[in-house]
Amino acid sequence: MRLVLAASGAAVLLVVLGVGWMTQPDRISRGYAPAQPIPFSHRLHAGSLAIPCLHCHAGAEKSRSAGIPSVETCMGCHRVTRTDQPAIKRLAEVYDSGGTLAWKRVHSLPGHVFFDHRPHVLAGVACQTCHGPVAEMAVMRQTMSMRMGNCLSCHRSPRPALPADSRITRAPENCYGCHR
Amino acid sequence: MAEPTGPELSRREFLGVLGASAGLAAGCSRPDRGELVPFTRRPDGARPGTADFYASACQEGRNVCGVLVRTREGRPIHVQGNDRQPFGAKASLRAIAGLMDLYDPDRLPQPFTGGMASSWPAAEESLVSVLLEARAGGKPVLLLTGALLSPTRRALLKDLQKALPGLVHAAWEPALGGDPESAALLACFGDARRPRLRLDRAKLILALDADLLSGARPEEIAGFAANRGERAMNRLYAFEGGMSLTGANADHRVPWRPSRAAALGFALARALGRRGIPLPAGLETALAGFELGALAREQGVDPALLESLADDLRQAGSSALVAAGPGLPPQAHAAVFLLNAMLGAQGHTVDAAAAAPAEPLAGREELDRLLRDAARGKFAAALFWQANPAYAFPDAALWKAAAAGLPYKVRIGMHADETARDCHLVLPEHHWLESFNDFEPAADFLLLQQPAVSPLYDTRQGEDVLLAALRGLGGADPADYRHYLMERWRREVQPAGSLVPFERFWSAALHEGVLRREPVARPPRRLDPAAVARLAGQAAPLRAPGFELALGPADGVGDGRQANNGWLQELPDPITKLSWGNAVSVSPTDASRLGLVDGDLARLTVGKTAAVLPVVVQPGQAVGVLSAALGYGRAVGTVAGGVGTDLYPFADAAADAGTAVKLEKTGRREALAFVQRHHKMEGRDIVRSLPWAAHGAGSESKQHDLSTLYPPQEFPKHKWAMAVDLSRCVGCQSCVLACQSENNVPTVGAARVLRGREMHWLRVDRYYEGDERSPRVLLQPMFCQQCDHAPCETVCPVAATNHSDEGLNQMAYNRCVGTRYCANNCPYKVRRFNFFEFTAATPESRRLAFNPEVTVRPRGVMEKCTFCVQRIQEAKSAAKAAGRELRDGDIEPACAAACPAGAIVFGDRRDPESRVSRLARSARGYRVLEELGVRPAVTYLADLRNPADGGKDG
Repeated sequence: MRLVLAASGAAVLLVVLGVGWMTQPDRISRGYAPAQPIPFSHRLHAGSLAIPCLHCHAGAEKSRSAGIPSVETCMGCHRVTRTDQPAIKRLAEVYDSGGTLAWKRVHSLPGHVFFDHRPHVLAGVACQTCHGPVAEMAVMRQTMSMRMGNCLSCHRSPRPALPADSRITRAPENCYGCHR
Repeated sequence: MAEPTGPELSRREFLGVLGASAGLAAGCSRPDRGELVPFTRRPDGARPGTADFYASACQEGRNVCGVLVRTREGRPIHVQGNDRQPFGAKASLRAIAGLMDLYDPDRLPQPFTGGMASSWPAAEESLVSVLLEARAGGKPVLLLTGALLSPTRRALLKDLQKALPGLVHAAWEPALGGDPESAALLACFGDARRPRLRLDRAKLILALDADLLSGARPEEIAGFAANRGERAMNRLYAFEGGMSLTGANADHRVPWRPSRAAALGFALARALGRRGIPLPAGLETALAGFELGALAREQGVDPALLESLADDLRQAGSSALVAAGPGLPPQAHAAVFLLNAMLGAQGHTVDAAAAAPAEPLAGREELDRLLRDAARGKFAAALFWQANPAYAFPDAALWKAAAAGLPYKVRIGMHADETARDCHLVLPEHHWLESFNDFEPAADFLLLQQPAVSPLYDTRQGEDVLLAALRGLGGADPADYRHYLMERWRREVQPAGSLVPFERFWSAALHEGVLRREPVARPPRRLDPAAVARLAGQAAPLRAPGFELALGPADGVGDGRQANNGWLQELPDPITKLSWGNAVSVSPTDASRLGLVDGDLARLTVGKTAAVLPVVVQPGQAVGVLSAALGYGRAVGTVAGGVGTDLYPFADAAADAGTAVKLEKTGRREALAFVQRHHKMEGRDIVRSLPWAAHGAGSESKQHDLSTLYPPQEFPKHKWAMAVDLSRCVGCQSCVLACQSENNVPTVGAARVLRGREMHWLRVDRYYEGDERSPRVLLQPMFCQQCDHAPCETVCPVAATNHSDEGLNQMAYNRCVGTRYCANNCPYKVRRFNFFEFTAATPESRRLAFNPEVTVRPRGVMEKCTFCVQRIQEAKSAAKAAGRELRDGDIEPACAAACPAGAIVFGDRRDPESRVSRLARSARGYRVLEELGVRPAVTYLADLRNPADGGKDG
């Protein structure tokens, strides 16, 4: 009888721990790298070619959302570059037909979180702080779980994420900073 | 309205789903996060995540206001006033609420022919063939529209008239009845231009049943409020039958029968004559029968008050302004013209030079004649555009006969409404936020209307339908109304010889929304004393004792055109505080005589027309006067249908002084959706009101012991605060609607208002003080006071509400578990709870109106005013991007931005020189329920009243 109790106790504990471990948000969100309609490589564009992030994601400085570049932005170069590649041909077809290109969303925040790219970019926080080593990724993937703990740890001690000459020592920790 | 219900999910199913999703998550597949679709070609300046503003204009009956429309990702989400326009910069109540009409799911998506879905080419072909046939047969065609304020539309109608000589156009505004004011203007001046009322120039205002301060008139509110403070103070006398906002704000309000307004005006003119302002020649004898003393006795008013009014008028001279309500007979208007002329107010406070060209509306006789002709089969076809005669024409039998006698009827409108049901061809129209137009509200400026969104449905602008007809009739014209408008502006509006290319001129005008120009010089117009004498002769007889009925547009839904608008339906009447419906207001004296109480159903009989409707016992209502709002009782509309009682059938009889009005108790009752059920302050210091003469004394400022056990709070960067000047506030409720629009506040419907579950974050409380036959009315906007020692914060078991280091009482929806302890502990009752999943019950199209900067709250969550924290964050972000510190005035919450009176000021208390800090230090400043020690962040500035006796009797 005692053995049965102990065994079932252990089983319950194992199930709880197992489910808990399996469902931990970090495990679910980190490493998410869906296949995209165009196999765009950040490693090539941001890495080898060293195109600055803001060249394509220009909204990051001016809007709350960094934005996905318009097809027109891609065509700015690819009208003449690598036009023989099948993916570029698909891209040109979308552009010429006036169709739409639906990318898979990689990073997402819950609806009650109001993240604004502007103050972060303007304060000099590098994109890689949250988005990881994008310049090394052939396929874009999520590297930070983007939970409230990530936000708060940086807001409480932002120094490591900021340029050396930054005068910022703390960032808002109010609920209304992000939730409204 | 149907009960919104959440998805059915039992506890067992819930656990099942939970288990399944855990299993799924534990497996290797990750939940899809959706797609991101960027622009293929990004339009210039379009930046997702940022707001764009478009200047436009909104017409409402005979009023127009310039607006700024805020759009996000191509959809309008908020309407506010355009501060570039002269005379008061704010949007009217119904312009703010126009957003809901744009997204109304009841809108017609496409043309209909004979009740069947049709297409535009087919519909146009059918219309043109009928018009061609009419022209060939020499038969006239009737076009019935609303008031015509657009010069380009007028030009279009002229062109159409040329192509179709038989076109008969009549403009009609149902809430104005036969438009007695224009009739009086025409008789007395020979010119029907309505003067602009310059309340900003007036030191003394006399309103005879004129609701100058309703939310439909931001311009007048701004002018009035500009002179309500320590430095400048006007004085407002209101004589009215029912209680209006004007009466509520008056320094002297006198319950007065509307039928005796003309007599009062003429008696005052004689009294002025005795005070040294000569009556125009020939009026001495015509006015001999009007005597202030006799009138005072007849109406049971203190004669000294009327004499002091005459003294005040005499003293104010050209700075006085006398106004009569549009519902009063021509005689009353003539009396008002006479008073203004005698005082010299003509040309100063009553500015006819700034008036727009006259746009005569069809009188009742003309409409009757046209509809009788229609019934006899004289017209080949009729087009009904904006005007909705099947609902609003008082003589239903005549309309029926006319409809039967018209072989072909066309409806141009947004809804399948009452008139559309009688029409062969129903053509869906653009909303004004999808349209191009121009307006001429005054002689010295034009307003431009431009679309802020591309059409949501397969609709066309009404003008484009007429243009199509014009093309079909052989008139050569541009492709669409936009080009027609631009062509006319190129020819007639752009100053001749201008060196600016037209395209630049046009885009600059569109950008500003306003074009100022030199007014056409007109000779000053003169009052014809003989006409006044003639009208005075008709004003002499006393009305038979008994009830009289005063009807006017509702404060919320107006004349009923916007009745299918949940925001306007839920917006309570500013005085009765009744939402979702209308009721007949009865004076306390009459009510006790008839044994009526609030919510009793009574049978109202006027001549041969009768209806049963609920009663509201209205303090301050004149004895013998019944008043009620038009605009309710629509037969169609998901929101409007069946709400309230249609009183248009009474409009004829009510305007006729000879008709007997009866009110009888039925013994039945109806629950009325009041949002406020207690009307007295019970001796508490909630709304302070001081006589202006004594405001400097400062004796009123009570000191409370505010010692506390809490540790002191620190606000290192900002301390947000607000000040509300009750002396400026008139209670128009523009702030309520602006807040609702900005913060995604749901409407809950009558059934839940009855349970006290309305969701408005901002409400305007109304209190009565003193004798209920003629009470003093006090109004106070009430919203979260962002207390530093907030009672709500200490009782939240999950710390979902707490204090920020900028002084805001934060509400984190995602932490809230819905215990409602906070609402119970809030002394101001400003926290609202989501009892239902209102969003789930919101139709798809209406969700487009949501502000993406504010969470749409789910069921079971508490919510309240945030001081528009999204606007605070936006302003901070913008300042940071510009590399500068926040400046005073950078942040304007929606309520402050919408307030026509400028009564709400927001800012940083840490900056001692900010406007809000200076107001908070004012001698009039006080904090509501400060004695509780909650340290509210909102300072109210005591109301100031300026009675003639200096406020001696309080």
